[in-house]
Amino acid sequence: MSIKLNKDLWAKVKKVAMAAGYSSPEEFVEHVLEREIAKLEDAQTDQEIVARLKGLGYID
Amino acid sequence: MSISLSALVSTHLAYIGPGAGFAFLGSFLTLLAGLLMSVISFLLWPFRTAWRLIRRRRGFQRARVKKIIFLGLDGLDPQLTEQFMAEGKLPNLARLAAEGSYHRLRTTFPALSPVAWSTFATGVSPAKHNIFDFLDRSLKTYLPQLSSARVGRPRRVLKLGRLRIPLSQPILELRRKSQPFWKILGKQGIGCTILRIPITFPPEKFDGKLLSAMSTPDLKGTQGSFAQFTTRIDKATYENGSRYPLRRVADGFEGEVEGPADTFLENETPLRIPFRVVPKNGTFELHWQQRSCRLTPGESTPWQRLAFRTAIGSTANGMARFLVTETGAEFTMYVSPINIDPERPALPISHPAYYAVYLANLLGPYSTLGMAEDTWALNEGVIDEDAFLSQAYDIFAERKAMYMEALESTNRGVVACVFDTSDRIQHMFFRHLATSDRHQGTIAKMYQQMDDLVGKTISFVQPDTALFVLSDHGFCAFRRGVNINSWLRDNGYLHLKDGKQESGPFFEGVDWDRTRAYALGLGGFYLNLKNREACGIVEPQEAEQLKQEIIGKLNMLREENGDAPIHAVYATRSLYRGPYLDAAPDFVVGYNRGYRCSWDGAVGKVATLALEDNQKAWSGDHCVDPAFVPGVLFSNRKVEATNPGIEDLAPTALALFGLETPGWMEGKALL
Repeated sequence: MSIKLNKDLWAKVKKVAMAAGYSSPEEFVEHVLEREIAKLEDAQTDQEIVARLKGLGYID
Repeated sequence: MSISLSALVSTHLAYIGPGAGFAFLGSFLTLLAGLLMSVISFLLWPFRTAWRLIRRRRGFQRARVKKIIFLGLDGLDPQLTEQFMAEGKLPNLARLAAEGSYHRLRTTFPALSPVAWSTFATGVSPAKHNIFDFLDRSLKTYLPQLSSARVGRPRRVLKLGRLRIPLSQPILELRRKSQPFWKILGKQGIGCTILRIPITFPPEKFDGKLLSAMSTPDLKGTQGSFAQFTTRIDKATYENGSRYPLRRVADGFEGEVEGPADTFLENETPLRIPFRVVPKNGTFELHWQQRSCRLTPGESTPWQRLAFRTAIGSTANGMARFLVTETGAEFTMYVSPINIDPERPALPISHPAYYAVYLANLLGPYSTLGMAEDTWALNEGVIDEDAFLSQAYDIFAERKAMYMEALESTNRGVVACVFDTSDRIQHMFFRHLATSDRHQGTIAKMYQQMDDLVGKTISFVQPDTALFVLSDHGFCAFRRGVNINSWLRDNGYLHLKDGKQESGPFFEGVDWDRTRAYALGLGGFYLNLKNREACGIVEPQEAEQLKQEIIGKLNMLREENGDAPIHAVYATRSLYRGPYLDAAPDFVVGYNRGYRCSWDGAVGKVATLALEDNQKAWSGDHCVDPAFVPGVLFSNRKVEATNPGIEDLAPTALALFGLETPGWMEGKALL
């Protein structure tokens, strides 16, 4: 999947991504989008998440 | 300008989850598209091969080595290694140290495998790769979640009566960020074979081969749920497994193996496979699904295939091992967690997808579960120490076979493999180090096994090969647990509803409107920050002062005899910088040797006491101040660095192939 960004914005994205410590501009864009989407998303079913941890040696 | 977001929507054939799970074969259109892609791919094959050859030739032009081997021995402890080397027990490691180099290897904050191996892969600190612990928390519910991978249900489902047909792919997401060195090398045409390096599930696409490790679930979607079948019928459920009844019938016993839930059904009934155990000439026979195998008491069976049929006729393929643990008046049998069958994987466990199948066809079935050794079955007394050791060494043999295959078939490029045996056996047998019982030498024998593996690896080393044998952390005893949540309650930072003093797991009963800090996971704890946590109450401008107050008090925690359980508490922002820092715990706790966060505290339970004995077989650990548990680094090359860290290995791999260290990496090339 692709998203179109204008050249100026893309140049800024590349600059900021490098300064912030991302390994690529794509990683920066993904992170920003994921962070914003997470605020709007519903939490996953509680018991389902907890059940998935069953058996992890380090926790009871 | 366009950017690819394909990682967000990568295709997968299956979905597994507790209360859900198994292979979804896809629609006719999917098959048609697949067929078309195969034809196009076949037609383009000569061009792609030619391009790859050109790229590979270019990639090796600046290389200083032809091959790098990374042999990861999880948890190999420097103190014990040095002691056993001095006693002459580890001749191959001693030779490497003498002819090449040996260093203690600085590990990460905290000293946990998912964190440290992610740093090994990416050359960056946790704030840049986003793995801070085994667990993190939902900011909305405060519930724990696996830090490394997200598995979710398909977003669109068609309801047909009581049937539920998924119309979209399930969510499968690797939460480790940044880029592993093997991806960067792959872009230059330098092939890498990456075997079972933690935090590689789901597998990322790159130009090379990879088999996933830690975080890969079992067929039920959990991190490993064993079962015990017994004629001693009661309803006890083990903490991390389950006990099921065996019915006595005329010719033996009957039971049902419970698999994943059938998510094609509205009520998601668990899929079951009936089986029968029949006594025969002093041993037993196990019968299921027109299959059978012999059960010899005290001996684990080889992997047995289990095909769970769903409501729509598709199959979820798993495999398990069976072990009879009691015969006589009563009969009891242990069944290992149901692993994803690598020959017909219900979830992607390798890249390319056929690599897992190739290994299974070549070498036979092998464990695929992230943490494959069943530590909980031993903790709960369902299997004994001998059975655990046997299982651990069987897994070691499987891993060794695929590692040897990779070494034999790789003339140039990278082979990297992590063996977990060293970590698991130390976790479960550390208490025996100070005894004179028959398991006193179990850890020493394991170190010798690892040394033998090093010897076999050395036989593949040529003058133009760089070999690195490393561990991600060391080990020490785990005698006492510290429940940070209980300490926070005792000091007025955490409050429970209705005047209660204890809570259930996952902060059940915690009064978030009055709670300023809480702990979850093994390495650190969090402030309940306003505008971050759903019920946060700490104003951002108060946070720094509160942090210093808590650090000051927690550093003064003492046992009744005056011992200090904590060496130092660190504000995470003083440890590292990076774009994912906001997701980190606010504090990392550096426990003293002999201590760790308590079992209850790790899962958000507030117990009566803040300090308690650890009474489990799991008696060794490394969740202490990282200064106490560095790893080891051996090489056939002279590594001159005075304080090498695990973040230095990725830049080293790039440098040996003539590539500069990327600007985002924090490690420095050692050679």
